Amino acid sequence: MAVPGFTEKYDVVVVGAGHAGCEAAMAPARMGLQTALYTMNLDLIAQMSCNPAVGGIAKGHLVREVDALGGIMGELIDTVGIQFRLLNTSRGPAVWSPRAQADKKLYRVRMKQVLESEPNLRIKQAEVMDLVLEDLPSVLGANAGRRRILGIRLRDGRTVEAGAVLVTTGTFLNGLIHCGEQTYPAGRSGEAPAVMLGEALRRLGFETGRLKTGTPPRLDARTIDFSQFQEQPGDPVPTPFSFRTRQITQPQTVCWIAYTTDETRRVIQENLARSPLYSGQIQSRGPRYCPSIEDKIVKFPDKPHHQLFLEPEGLDTHEIYVNGMSTSMPIDVQWAMVRSIPGLENADMIRPGYAIEYDMVQPTELHSSLETKKIENLFLAGQINGTTGYEEAACQGIMAGINAGLRVQGREPLTIERTRGYTGILIDDLVSKGADEPYRMFTSRAEFRLHLRIDNADERLTPLGHQAGTIRDADYQAFLEKKIRITEATKFLLETRLEPGSRVGWAVYSKLGLMTGGQFTGPGPLTGAQLLKRQEVTMEDLADWVNEVLRGRSLQPLGGPNESTGQNLFAREEARRIETDFKYEGYLAQQERQVERMKRAEARRIPDWFDYAKVSGLSREVVEKLTKVRPVTLGQASRIPGITPAAVSLVNVYIEIFQRRAAEQARA
Amino acid sequence: MSHSDETIVAISTAPGRGGIGVVRLSGGQALEIATGILRFPQSPLDPRKATLGEFCDISTERVLDQVVAVFFPGPHSYTGEDVLEISCHGSPVILAFLVELCLARGARPAEPGEFTLRAFLNGRLDLTQAEAIRDLIESQTLYQARVAAGQMEGAISQRLKPHKEALVRLIARLEAGIDFAEDDVPVSGWQEIAATVDAIQKDLSRMVESYQLGKIVREGLTLAIVGRPNVGKSSLFNRLLNEERAIVTATPGTTRDLVSEIASLGGIPLRLVDTAGIRETHDEAERLGVAKSLQAIADSALRLFVVDASEGWTEGDERLWTKVHPLGSLAIALNKTDLPKLLDRDQLARRLSEIGESPSGTIVVEVSALTGGGIEDLKQALLFIAAPARETSGQGEMITNLRHQQLIQSALDSLGRAHQAARLKVHHEMLLLDLYDALNSLDLITGATNVEDVLRVIFSTFCIGK
Repeated sequence: MAVPGFTEKYDVVVVGAGHAGCEAAMAPARMGLQTALYTMNLDLIAQMSCNPAVGGIAKGHLVREVDALGGIMGELIDTVGIQFRLLNTSRGPAVWSPRAQADKKLYRVRMKQVLESEPNLRIKQAEVMDLVLEDLPSVLGANAGRRRILGIRLRDGRTVEAGAVLVTTGTFLNGLIHCGEQTYPAGRSGEAPAVMLGEALRRLGFETGRLKTGTPPRLDARTIDFSQFQEQPGDPVPTPFSFRTRQITQPQTVCWIAYTTDETRRVIQENLARSPLYSGQIQSRGPRYCPSIEDKIVKFPDKPHHQLFLEPEGLDTHEIYVNGMSTSMPIDVQWAMVRSIPGLENADMIRPGYAIEYDMVQPTELHSSLETKKIENLFLAGQINGTTGYEEAACQGIMAGINAGLRVQGREPLTIERTRGYTGILIDDLVSKGADEPYRMFTSRAEFRLHLRIDNADERLTPLGHQAGTIRDADYQAFLEKKIRITEATKFLLETRLEPGSRVGWAVYSKLGLMTGGQFTGPGPLTGAQLLKRQEVTMEDLADWVNEVLRGRSLQPLGGPNESTGQNLFAREEARRIETDFKYEGYLAQQERQVERMKRAEARRIPDWFDYAKVSGLSREVVEKLTKVRPVTLGQASRIPGITPAAVSLVNVYIEIFQRRAAEQARA
Repeated sequence: MSHSDETIVAISTAPGRGGIGVVRLSGGQALEIATGILRFPQSPLDPRKATLGEFCDISTERVLDQVVAVFFPGPHSYTGEDVLEISCHGSPVILAFLVELCLARGARPAEPGEFTLRAFLNGRLDLTQAEAIRDLIESQTLYQARVAAGQMEGAISQRLKPHKEALVRLIARLEAGIDFAEDDVPVSGWQEIAATVDAIQKDLSRMVESYQLGKIVREGLTLAIVGRPNVGKSSLFNRLLNEERAIVTATPGTTRDLVSEIASLGGIPLRLVDTAGIRETHDEAERLGVAKSLQAIADSALRLFVVDASEGWTEGDERLWTKVHPLGSLAIALNKTDLPKLLDRDQLARRLSEIGESPSGTIVVEVSALTGGGIEDLKQALLFIAAPARETSGQGEMITNLRHQQLIQSALDSLGRAHQAARLKVHHEMLLLDLYDALNSLDLITGATNVEDVLRVIFSTFCIGK
């Protein structure tokens, strides 16, 4: 039913086309819903306003998860990545994480193409001025003050009706850029902020906060003496982000590592009073893990040199991103800082660094579906929720998109448990704890870290994506085939002993020092599983043996169908996937035991109607916190700061008491 | 949360000495755990019937107590799970030892109110009863509040604090190395990890060892009764022996002689040492005997110095005292108080301080071996000396609470695994599992550490961020 007065109608409307918005629009469109994506500038879709890179430790995990859920970020970076590195490989596979430099311009051009190729999606350039709401009828006082969103109003006067609206406006709400003593309102560098929408959101009465983030200066590559720096090449064999990528086709480039000098320190210290961070001009909180260079110098005076990375922003540009030199110093100081580094003495600055302050909505205003508690059918995702990073934005985008789609389809929302994915951890942390600094993902936030690996993200999440409708049938088929391969290979390795007489056997037993003069000297041949428990043996040693068996059973070899050219990048990954389960069996089991208690607490749900004020024994502060967050499970309640185990037990008991009381009243 | 497979155990009678004490087990393994510790004439136990059994120390085959056990199979029990109630004589040491053995066999100490909470969650209580649970849990809140205020567990928390901090610092270092591998964060080598773990282990081990109760109960104590001739050593000896004979039962096959020398002091097997031969002598052979007796006195864990109150403090008392006093772990029995006294506690205390003994340093108890007066006080005094931890609180050096001992032990076990993992150069994210296990055990004593605490240390220690 079209509400009178609306000029257009979509199932789902997304406002903002950054890294959250693109995923948020793509998901419902893939679910078969008519979707519109509104942006203030069509040519700056998925703009990388900060680092021209995707992934990194824990962030790479998030991209894999977005991909496993049917998102687009992974495939996109795979097509435009110009330097791929798998990080943390000196450690175990749970904390390996891919990272890639992106060709910044290509990233947004390609993203636009991907969005345009989706038949259910329309991209629109317009400024959103207001949200159209209606009051919800009060049912026994339960809905008091709650409203529902009906659509949006554009600045040009048009109104668009929508079953669900997603707002993904990033730093555009009251954005204020600081560059030295200068300040000016902006959304991102060079773009106007969304002032009217900001006003509209403010009127909704959400609890908001103000955060700060920053970027470093960009330099002209032609003015840099790269011979002064240590070259950092990509991996010889790139690790792609998407389970659907088989090849990396972009030409690859390198980055460089540089260090600040005593002179850099002197420049910064002498000009500290002119830094908006130290002059009092910026009051809001920035991230501790991404400090400006002036912060680093002040807070770690004993560290003589700070590491910097010089990263190309693309293959056909001279622009170089100075990773590690985020700053809001005045431009003349930035010049001096840059030129204090050998190799940059003559460097030309293309754009200065800046700090930006912006408004965010406290994510405790959200359900774990990312729908707001106050306004039905309104979803928020990305930096507006207090996070930082393209990857953190993207995973919220796809989850909000899926949930908006499910809402329009009248289906149950999708939440991902903390034990099932980093995406679930991120959202649970946000809605339970709120954000008082920009939230970034770390692997140390994951209780179930050893299980949440990049190599099994699809096993963890793809079935959920398929159920929701974001994973296409062909991709799901490929996933199922992979699962069968892995199951079969695992079973085979458990059951079968490797014969020393075989080619693979000879090589492996030689590696273990069990062959002397062509004779096997071990007590007896070992199973594949036993061999993989040895530090020296990897799946790569056994791959030929396993693949032969898979082929014999009419299955694809590890990695799936081989393309006609080049290497199959996923063969290695599937092999490692199998190896990990054997090699780290004991620790995986130990972690499983550790999270048992958490899983039990997660299984205990707190009903919607639960009234904390009626629980005698809870302090007023605890009642307020619980009422504000409204945790869905006892586990979530226990993670809210300031909630004691005793308070959680009390709530547990009172769930029963209230339920029985209600049952008794019903009988009476 | 409480719905679990874990079997819980606790002393369910009021703390302190009572006529009968009850230890209660609830959970799937209740029966299995108990039958591993107690001996019953028949097995399995008849449900809901009182069955007489023996509580013996498996390692020594010594019978420590007779018990009455009742088995309530679930779901028709108080908690709705299998429940076993074991009644024994009310000695706190015996009760604590019984609980300790249950823990060793896989039970977990019950949290305050947990039996009732389980009963409630298993649907065994009606609504009115259920509301009563609130009070129990509130008392748990109070308990935690007291913990926080440092009234109850403050001393041990203080003692654990530096170790917890060291552990969090180590965790933060390792986490920083993982999450910020791209920043130039120093990576901890395995020697450094092992050394840090080692230092924590050492002190925690000392704390665990300070929990003597179990050891004392298992191994017993020797008590040397010292004194001039005719001060009443033998009658006191018999008095201590007779009082407890009902509890200490002869194990079949052992000689009566051995048994006659063992009394029970609040559940602690007490071996009485004859020191009759000590006096001044010039005979060479006798001198050897005296030396041997003195050695026996020195080897004893406890010494009871008997003085005849009707004769007062004599020169002979003083000579003997100067020999025995430096050995410590000493109580004085001022015997024969049924006769007219020449010496009372205060006078003796003054005398002792004159000869350089601080009056508070030695416990003096007035007794009468003849009438039995004061014997109970004497036993308490000996118990106090034997296991001071049991009686005193606020002594940070000593672990007094079985739950604490268990938790620190489990932290130690985890640290042991971490140490091993460091030597094997196991990847840090796996080694961290053991460190987090250790931290969680300590957290259960001192209050929780969360991910923010670790991040705070990371960001204040390392310059992170590109």
